[in-house]
Amino acid sequence: MKENNFTTKPVAIGWLLIVAMVILIAFWQGPKFDSSILSLLPESDQQPLVEQAIKQMSEDFSGRLVLMLSGKNEQEVRTTVTSMAQNLSLLTELSKVFWRVEEAETSGLHKALFPYRYSVIDSSVREILLNGEFQRLNDRALMRLFGPLSTGGDSILEDPFGLFFDLMINRSSELNLQVSNSLLKVKNTEIPSYLIVLSFDGDPFSAGLQRKLLGAIEAQQELMPASVSISGISGLLLHAAAGANQAKSEISTIGLGSLAGIIFLMLFVFRRVKPLVLLLFPVAVGCIFASAMTLLIFGRVHLVTFAFGAGLVGVSIDYALHFLCERQVSTARQVLHKILPGLLLGLFSSVMAYAAQALTPFPGLRQMATFSVLGLCASWLTVVLWFPLMTVADSQRQLAVAEKLDRFRRKFPKLETNRVLLLLLLVPLGLALQSIWNSNAQDDIRLLQTSPASIMQQEQSLHRILGISSSSRFLLISANTLEACLQKEEQLITTLDKLITEGEISGFQALSSSLPSLRRQAENIELVQELYDNQLVSFYSLIKAPQSGLSSAVSIRENTENNLLTLDTWGVLPGSDGLKNHLVRQSDLVTATVIRFSGELSNSTWHKLQAISETMSGVTFVDQVQNVSGLLGKYRVQIGTWVIAAYFFVFFVLLLRYKKQVWRIVMPPLLASVFTLAILVQFEQGVNLFHLMALILVLGIGLDMGIFLMETEEAPHTWLAVSLSASTSLLAFGLLALSDTPVLHHFGLTVACGLTLVWLLVPMMRQN
Amino acid sequence: MKWFFPGLIALIIPLAVSAGISFTQLAKISTTPDQLKGTFSQEKYLKALDAELISTGVFSYQRGKSIRWEILKPVQNELVMTPATITSKQGDGELWQIDVESTPESAALGQIFFSLVTADWDILSNHFEVTGEIDGQLWHAVLVPTDQTVEQAFSRIELTGENLLQQIILHENGGNRTTIRLDNWH
Repeated sequence: MKENNFTTKPVAIGWLLIVAMVILIAFWQGPKFDSSILSLLPESDQQPLVEQAIKQMSEDFSGRLVLMLSGKNEQEVRTTVTSMAQNLSLLTELSKVFWRVEEAETSGLHKALFPYRYSVIDSSVREILLNGEFQRLNDRALMRLFGPLSTGGDSILEDPFGLFFDLMINRSSELNLQVSNSLLKVKNTEIPSYLIVLSFDGDPFSAGLQRKLLGAIEAQQELMPASVSISGISGLLLHAAAGANQAKSEISTIGLGSLAGIIFLMLFVFRRVKPLVLLLFPVAVGCIFASAMTLLIFGRVHLVTFAFGAGLVGVSIDYALHFLCERQVSTARQVLHKILPGLLLGLFSSVMAYAAQALTPFPGLRQMATFSVLGLCASWLTVVLWFPLMTVADSQRQLAVAEKLDRFRRKFPKLETNRVLLLLLLVPLGLALQSIWNSNAQDDIRLLQTSPASIMQQEQSLHRILGISSSSRFLLISANTLEACLQKEEQLITTLDKLITEGEISGFQALSSSLPSLRRQAENIELVQELYDNQLVSFYSLIKAPQSGLSSAVSIRENTENNLLTLDTWGVLPGSDGLKNHLVRQSDLVTATVIRFSGELSNSTWHKLQAISETMSGVTFVDQVQNVSGLLGKYRVQIGTWVIAAYFFVFFVLLLRYKKQVWRIVMPPLLASVFTLAILVQFEQGVNLFHLMALILVLGIGLDMGIFLMETEEAPHTWLAVSLSASTSLLAFGLLALSDTPVLHHFGLTVACGLTLVWLLVPMMRQN
Repeated sequence: MKWFFPGLIALIIPLAVSAGISFTQLAKISTTPDQLKGTFSQEKYLKALDAELISTGVFSYQRGKSIRWEILKPVQNELVMTPATITSKQGDGELWQIDVESTPESAALGQIFFSLVTADWDILSNHFEVTGEIDGQLWHAVLVPTDQTVEQAFSRIELTGENLLQQIILHENGGNRTTIRLDNWH
């Protein structure tokens, strides 16, 4: 066997070894997939403080699973909760199972906070004191004392006016929860409902963790009595699992469908199995190599990268098809010699087009660029190095389909000679351009949703029942010190309280509500002293207490009045965990705190909060929903600009080789893209980022078609090769239009339209 | 000697039975009308001051719905309890209100008091163990909390009655004690 001019066995084997090694290293590192929207955010776009705050706020959601169990029979629900929580506690994956509050914890809080009863007081009491209505507090204390209810131990000396009692009864929990006989009971539900909160340290996107946790929950569900059910469940892990499941089920339906289509097509054309295997080989090498490299470079592969990257790498089937179709009429040695210029130009134009994405500041696009460029190159190398070796012994034979398809192509009207056709293209082109010009862009965050609607609804209803505040919209207060932050918060809260009375917001959670600024605490101590000065003597005389009682009450207050609650003390109080992530960062220079809002925010409230944040320095209104939509918009503009730039670039590069003929190559994908966009504007309520991404694929395949046809002077087998390439891409990615995942649907639909149009337009731009 | 022990145990058992009364028995022997009005006197002993605070007033209840507890001396105050809220009023003004949903711990104690006054043995059996004796129409029950929330506040509660509930003694953990006598029903 004589070796090919362009390739030698050692090089080919060397290449395969490199691929194998990269895959091994990546596999050894452990494959990690990511589907979090946040990781697509550009790093430079967010202030570090805002970013940190967003991260902290989303931790509640990403590291936790919240389960709500309900049933008509309260006792049965309680028993089920207890046994389920105890069984789940055995899982090593869970760092904490929170389902009961020991009474000791509540009394522990009382004991720990009691020394600060003069400095940390309830806001309603503070209001009364500020108004100088000391008598009112006196009256309240007397009512309590002469009333039948418990006075709360022996606080008659330590806290005669019951300031601590008021603080405790008004202490509102962040969630609609109450501790009922130690368990976490959900308030305002139709039937008794209890909560179990599972915390884990692992990655919610890890399939192993998902299987383990959801499997364990399912197993527990089997053990439940019939009358008790899991009535609500929430957590990022759930969405991640649902997204993975949907992807899996779609791969097995849409994926198998398209695979079957491709296999059928190839067998029909080549009437042998071998070409089919040969075709899939470089694409598979390209995808696996690209995944492995991306994993090594970025640490994890984003699912979006994988979906689109694989799509773009799919273009490489062009090279394989081109080779195989040419191989039908040339020997293994001649093929490469003949087609290498075309293959090189095809690779060059595609790589340049994709690589430009790496220059954008968006991590998502950079990863995708890396993925598709590496994948394309790997596929290309595999074709060039291995195909000559793999097809040495194959016989040559003209494919009957090639001739038929070529005759069909020649029947197409040609633009150069057919004035009517020119008109028929120009008129819709004008209409299409106009419709694109007048269209609205679609940058809604829902585009990124991968979860089925049922899970979204369940999540939202549980959030509503529990009154979980939105983690995506909050006020960020930053200053040099925590004290300054808290003071600023207290100033802000006056305004926010007004919004509550106006009914604009239903509530908010702020750190300063449970940890007042030191300035505020000092003020409170003074106010309490005034209260004592004013009322203590008359209070004690009314209850006919001995003189010793009065003096000990006074001395107790004087001894305690310097007790100020500090961050350190507050931090170890039982129950302060819930507010801990409201403190964003405390370095020597910058600290920030977060005020979160309960319930949904209306548009007008949104604007008011925005306005409030603008009037105070160091206060930012962070709206993550808006941020993500803005991001999608930026990505869309970037990609759009860049697609146009790519056309210009490719045009000038190809101009060097094809001179005046260059329009034959560039026009089909360009026109197809314009028409596709116009169709999308009509049927998809606007163009979004993912439509534009699919147009890159249309560009890649369209260019290959033109270049290959040009290089072989419109040989029948080349037309067959590029037609097959278009139809395999259509089958592989166009069918994604049927997907329930919005991203994939948009991508697929665009590919389907674009490729069909390219295939129809290419013959019209040919000479013969 | 072997026969001796069973004999001894046989002697003890009847004693134990006579000391142990059940909520069911109490429910049978005590009367709780759907509506009741009366007067009360309350002595609250405060250990820290070693002083006794005496208050008197009137009360009325609608079983399962509400209790009005009006202190007339030495201060005027009206307490209205429903299963969901406790409201304290003076004159026309509302001094404070506790509702079950927002402050469950405090409200739980209010609910206990509600159940005590209206002798809702069913609810009390969820939170207490009972011992005591019954002698004809007279009964005396000692409730010891089994519920952690109640345990925080009371060490035990004594109830005495003849048909109707006549006296409640609430023993608080800190040594404070509240004795409430109910009279002059109509």
